[in-house]
Amino acid sequence: MTSKEQHTVTSSLSAGPRDGSERTLETAAISTQPAPPAGENGGSLPASLLTPPAPPPPPHLDDYRNIIGQGQVDALRFLARELKGKTIKMVNSTAVGGGVAEMLNRLVPLISELEVPAHWEVITGGNDFFEVTKAFHNALHGTTYELTKAAQEIFLMYNEQNRERLEFNEDMVVIHDPQPLALVRSRDKSSSNWVWRCHIDLSNPDAHVWEFLRPFVEQYDAAIFSSQSFARQLPIPQYLFYPCIDPLSEKNKELEESQIQKVCDELGIDRSRPIVTQVSRFDRLKDPVGVVQAFKLARKYVDCQLVLAGGGAKDDPEGAVVLQEVKEAAGNDPDITILDLPPWCALEINAIQRASTLVVQKSIREGFGLTVTEALWKGKPTIAGAVGGIPNQIIHKLTGVLVHSVEGCAFQIRYLLTHPEFARSIGASGREHVKENFLISTNVRRWLLLFRILQEAQAKR
Amino acid sequence: MPIADKPQPRQPDKPFHFNTSEHLLRIGRQKATTIHELLEALRACPDDSIFQHTFRTLQEHHFIGQGFSNDFAHWSLSACHEPVLAEKLASVDVHEFTAIDGLRCRMTEIVDEFLQKHPRSGSRPANEPFYFCASDIVVLPTLFVANSLFEFLEGLNSVGVHSIHHHFIEARLRLHRMSNDFSQWLEEEIGLPQTADAIERIDIYTNTMEGVRQQIARMVERVLKAGQRES
Repeated sequence: MTSKEQHTVTSSLSAGPRDGSERTLETAAISTQPAPPAGENGGSLPASLLTPPAPPPPPHLDDYRNIIGQGQVDALRFLARELKGKTIKMVNSTAVGGGVAEMLNRLVPLISELEVPAHWEVITGGNDFFEVTKAFHNALHGTTYELTKAAQEIFLMYNEQNRERLEFNEDMVVIHDPQPLALVRSRDKSSSNWVWRCHIDLSNPDAHVWEFLRPFVEQYDAAIFSSQSFARQLPIPQYLFYPCIDPLSEKNKELEESQIQKVCDELGIDRSRPIVTQVSRFDRLKDPVGVVQAFKLARKYVDCQLVLAGGGAKDDPEGAVVLQEVKEAAGNDPDITILDLPPWCALEINAIQRASTLVVQKSIREGFGLTVTEALWKGKPTIAGAVGGIPNQIIHKLTGVLVHSVEGCAFQIRYLLTHPEFARSIGASGREHVKENFLISTNVRRWLLLFRILQEAQAKR
Repeated sequence: MPIADKPQPRQPDKPFHFNTSEHLLRIGRQKATTIHELLEALRACPDDSIFQHTFRTLQEHHFIGQGFSNDFAHWSLSACHEPVLAEKLASVDVHEFTAIDGLRCRMTEIVDEFLQKHPRSGSRPANEPFYFCASDIVVLPTLFVANSLFEFLEGLNSVGVHSIHHHFIEARLRLHRMSNDFSQWLEEEIGLPQTADAIERIDIYTNTMEGVRQQIARMVERVLKAGQRES
């Protein structure tokens, strides 16, 4: 089987997200430079990028030893020793697509490998259920929503159906996000510890939806949030688990120099001059036009080129509009390369980030900002907007630099390109910050710690 | 002669057990949006919040050699733009405290004095709130137990940096004395009071935790090479 055939087969086996919006093959690389050498597509993406590659096998715990050190791997084993024989169930609402499923795909095997068997169940529901939970999701993010009796009944009915279908014999049950929240009604039947892992921002929820959901949340033993600011006043302990990246994933693994060069050649990126990069969807909240403006201001003083690598413009009408705005802002500037990449181009994004001299994430609003985590992990000096979870990652002038304006961003591009020692130093500290706090191995540690703490608290009761 | 074969200062009666501590961050109830509120919360928050934002934050940021001291100082500068307060808070050395009470008093004194001198700064809204957190802690063994000074050096060079933090920084809250587990063992079990004292004087605010480890290791290596006891 050729590699092309492998790609094709994988594509047919890989399910997309629930709405099927993620897969599109009509993707083009857009550059204000002369068209890069891109084979038969002539200016489009190379053919090898047009279909998703086969997913690599998940890594084992020992594969992380060279990254986090033997001491940390040993600590995970010691932590798990007290939990040996205990079982865990994770429940969410989708098996594929989205960050939670992606994270569970890696987390569940790693915890199981530590002899704490972990199982993952996905709830089922009709379109009416997912329409209601999508509306709840948006309302919890702050969108105004009229909570009807019918919506409440749909939510409760599907939770009840799933409660009857699923068994909860494990020692610890973790419910992810609001969709399966009411499964906690099953907790009376068992002595399990129940934990709610909330991946969304609850800092400004619609009051009606939150008051409807709150009584369920209060029945859990603990809740977990991704940021201090997302937490609510609750009578149960609330823990902070930062989102994390997997250093062995396609997007973050170490690459050979030849692989980086190959991707740059395919995408027409010139590595002979400093490269400033922003990787993000074409979304106004990521301020790609502001990045173009900052780049143009900085380039008056220093020689450099800009790469804007993103996606979503083909799936999202607003994304296409933003992409057009970016192209207009870029004009015919030969030093600006705009890449609209399909979602499976993780390895290419990895290579682009590694080829970059600086990485920018000039967001105006942000969740956690995992693209910042990815850049820091690659040791790249990173300039980012001081919004959302970014200040948790970038300690100004220590692990990166924070900016609040186009002008500030332009100045920091100039400064870092002309002070390579300082740039190297913050890049190195940024990588260590990720190693300590934002890798999947750290989250395995957090889960084990939480389970031990809850078990000990239960034993004392 | 390899240092493993050199005569050792003294055989210890008690081995040194290298442990480590793992922390889980718990989100607390207090929140400050002004320096006034910071002062109130500093007075009211639980001890483990003071521990988290001073001792523990050093572990979270162990890789930064200089410029990071504690979360209160960092917030005063980055969110409140008060460099004077930030400098004063940053000058508080956790090494000087053997109990959280004393550390809390020092922090509140500094903020209180600052607000008396700069009353208008007290109610100015910060760019972002300060969320008080705390840690739930689990102490774990490691694979390393030292029955000699040479084995101590081996363990020191092998354990993770969390273990170094546990024995070198957090220890004083356990011991309730101006010392650390390494210095105490080296003095009491190996008879090395001068090395113990030199280790205690290592500046944690101008070193990474890896740098602390390397400095201690160099001191122990010197003793092993010399093969002498200290008076």
